[in-house]
Amino acid sequence: MVHQYADRHTLEGLVPADVSAGADHLAVAARQAIVVVLAAPGQEAAVAHLLASDEDLSARFSAPGEWLVISGLQTPELLHQALAALLGDMAHCIDQSHGRVLLRLTGLNARAILAKGAGLDLHPSAFSVGQSANVLCGHISVNLARVGDDAFEIVVMRSFADTLLHDLRDMGRAFDLTTAFLA
Amino acid sequence: MASLIPCPHCGIRPKEEFSIRGDASLVRPDPESSDETWNDYVHIRANPRGRYREHWQHVAGCRRWLVVERDTFTHEVFSVSDGAVRPWETSR
Ligand SMILES: [Zn+2]
Repeated sequence: MVHQYADRHTLEGLVPADVSAGADHLAVAARQAIVVVLAAPGQEAAVAHLLASDEDLSARFSAPGEWLVISGLQTPELLHQALAALLGDMAHCIDQSHGRVLLRLTGLNARAILAKGAGLDLHPSAFSVGQSANVLCGHISVNLARVGDDAFEIVVMRSFADTLLHDLRDMGRAFDLTTAFLA
Repeated sequence: MASLIPCPHCGIRPKEEFSIRGDASLVRPDPESSDETWNDYVHIRANPRGRYREHWQHVAGCRRWLVVERDTFTHEVFSVSDGAVRPWETSR
């Protein structure tokens, strides 16, 4: 028996590709570059400083000395190489691009939708643009980042993406949340 | 049960994000200690009414082990600190 190990998005078939975005919209990134960076003991501050110095990198806080680094421009391989070159032996970098799914929730009701499932204060004074944290959404642990006043990005483990998508659609039903792959 | 836990890394979070391991004040006995001492350390637990110090892990957040000092009767939380920082040990 011949197996086909084709690159296939885990939400393929569950998310339409050609739906026009409504007022509140959940976009699924068709491809992404995500690398977990774990600082060596004592190097936490230095690594945080280097990650912040590169404008192409978006470092999402997940724990002290640990970040999910996301790039919208680079391929997984190039992002991993760039981080390895930037950080040297100050940190461990592990490519998670195929192990996670990136979702982007936008719209005036984005906060109200998330508040149905996440036990985190989403008011801008408590969770401002640029901030990120690991948080429970429903019963699934995700990394949540505020990327705009009414825009959030969610990074979830690949195997939980299907259930999370289902939950988010339920949470957004009252606001006619639309879902589509990011063009 | 205390319902909101201020994680030093993640902020105020509901208790559902955590899992509780138990008494954080136990000290591992010397390897040569008696069977009685080891039995007490491994199996015997107090169930105090009042102030209690426990290990909690923030499993859905930063995944760090924390020490939560709380009141089992009033549910008040007095302090939460990272398990790697153990200020109470120096004062013991
Ligand atoms: Zn935490």
